[in-house]
Order: sequence, then structure tokens, then C-alpha cells
Amino acid sequence: MTTVSTHVEFYQGIKGPLFRIIRTPAKVLGHLLFIAPLFEQANKTRHHATRSAMNAYQFGLQSIVFDHYGTGDSAGDLIDASMVLWQQDIVQQVNAIKAKSSQAIYFSLPLSAVLLLSDELLSLADGVILLQPDFNGKRFVQQFQRLAVVAQLTKNSKIEEGSSIRTQRTEQQTIEIAGYVITPSLLSEISGQSLAKLAKITVDCYWFEWQHQQEELSLARTKQQQAAVNKSNHLVIEQVDDVKFWQATELQLAQSFLTKEQQVFAKLASASLSFSAPEVVKCEKQ
Amino acid sequence: MTSAQMTQQTSEQLIKLLVAIIPNYDENFWHADTELFGAIAEFDSMALVTLIGEIEEYFDITLDEDDINADNFASVKSLTELVLASH
Repeated sequence: MTTVSTHVEFYQGIKGPLFRIIRTPAKVLGHLLFIAPLFEQANKTRHHATRSAMNAYQFGLQSIVFDHYGTGDSAGDLIDASMVLWQQDIVQQVNAIKAKSSQAIYFSLPLSAVLLLSDELLSLADGVILLQPDFNGKRFVQQFQRLAVVAQLTKNSKIEEGSSIRTQRTEQQTIEIAGYVITPSLLSEISGQSLAKLAKITVDCYWFEWQHQQEELSLARTKQQQAAVNKSNHLVIEQVDDVKFWQATELQLAQSFLTKEQQVFAKLASASLSFSAPEVVKCEKQ
Repeated sequence: MTSAQMTQQTSEQLIKLLVAIIPNYDENFWHADTELFGAIAEFDSMALVTLIGEIEEYFDITLDEDDINADNFASVKSLTELVLASH
């Protein structure tokens, strides 16, 4: 068992203090930054991120779990947040790590967290781990806005013409959906995000795709994977036949995913230990 | 495939999606007449939107906002009819 030091702190982000938990093994072989997905997905994945972070340090990876500005335990209000701010907060964190360590830096990005990826961020990372990534910002926003429509449905048992979401947008320049008060510009930023905006993914990319063994991948997921294959030189796609823990109405653990993820942690750690590049595979579906 | 087979297959797939989202009921709970909207406490806004996303992705269809109403999400049966009509 690796000796672990867990440190909880507020550090200075660009616009205010950000909450983070750092788990540091006695011998650090690499750094793994857990980037939270957006809005409710952050709550739905938090318990799993914690489990993954604890597993990561057992393999010698320093794990850093943090909350974006205006979310979770970090300072600020969501209404003052933007994608650029969140991205720059990550850039700042990575640069601070690089100033003190020459070890590799990896990102863990579940679900909508990939919408935060930029060419600048990718240029700072040595590898990324993607969990059921959804690069379609437009679809994410559509789903998010549907929460307002459905909330109206729950109140009235029938959708009324012109949901409150649109009214608020024109009159107040803010939107409240499922308790999240945000600016329309944040939604526009998210909506504009897509895989096409990234130039090329040249770092090692591990993609976990939830898919039942006997079922075909949906057309939408197939398209996203194919686009990623075309963008990436070093992509490994791992099929996960397990519960979609972020969807369930009760806490669930995808144990087989955690096992597969640990195999990736072991690869990353051994690559750092031997000072050689991680294994490179071009879209090897396992 | 006959219309009845398509209906049954769609219904079974919808139940699979529902079980993944609302896992705390046993298999016997789910059938074509199982009531959803307003009948299951766990079938809240978040679960409903998640289900819509999964339906669109799995069946490769797009639901309009007009489709999102209490009648269409009343039961597995009504939802099955919505999916079949959206193809």
C-alpha cells in the first residue's frame, strides 16, 4: 500500500479561491487532474471521481480533484462563470504543477468535461482519459434546457407555450434552469464546443465507452468515435459493459470500469517510471 | 418484422433504458402498462431528461419539445407508441 498524503485546500484561481483535494503518494510518478463535467453531471460523477482518485494514488499518480469557479465548494457564483474562465483556471493549475514537477500530467474528463478541452489545454497534457465523452456542445445545451421544459411539465402536467426559460432570457439576461442561474453567453459558449474545434489530439487518449456486449453502438456515438479516431494519433477505445452510474437515480459504482481504469493508471505510472513513452495504439477497440 | 414484434422489441428496449436510470425496482415491476410520469417518485425531471437523451441516442430519433408531455410519458406503452411514431 502506497503512503498517501491527502491535502484539502482553497487555492487562488483567476477569479477567486477554488476548492481542491490533492492526494499525493510518497513517490509521485505523474499527476492526474480530474476535471469535473458541467452542471448536474458534476454531482452525478463526484462519488466516482473520488473512487478513481483514490485508486490513482495507489499507482503513484498524484490526484487532484477540484471544483470549477462558481460550482461545488469553490468561490463565486455560476452567473459570473464562463468556459474561458474555467479553461484558464485549469491552465493555471497545470502551469503551477509544471513549475514544480517534471512528471507527466494527465487529465481525467468524464462526460461533458471534454467540452472544456482546448488546443491550449491539450498542449499542456501528456495524456487524457475520457469517460463516455460527449463532444456535442449543442446537444448538451439542448438536454440542459429540456430540464426547464420538463420542470414546467411537472408543475402543470402539460407544457405551456413558450417555457419560462425564454422569457427570463430576454427580460433579465439570465437563465435559471434546475436551480442553476447562468448567463445566456455561457450556454452559447458550451453550445459552440465540438470536437471539430480541436486541431489534433496528439497526446495519448484513453476513451472509455459504455456499451453492452451484445448491443451495437448507436449512430451518434459511432460518429463521435470515428471523428476522434480521425483527430487522434494515439487513441485507445475501451468498451465498458457496466452501469451508467451518472444516470441512475441512486448511487452506483461501475466496478468493471474502475478495474479497467486502474489498468490505465498502471500503464501511465509505469511509463513515467521507465521514462519511456506510453504504449501507442491507433484505435484499438478492446 | 411485424408491427407487433416491433412494438414488443421497442417496449423491451425502453424498459432496459428505464432500468438503467431507475435501478431500484425488480424486473417484474417493468412491463408495457407500467405507469411512469406522476406514478414513480424517482421519475423526476432529471430522470426524464436523461431518458429522452437515451431514447434519442439509442433509436436515432429526435423528439420535439411538443413530444415532451404527460400523455407521451404516462406509461411504457405510450412511450413505445411515441418512439414508433417518431421513426
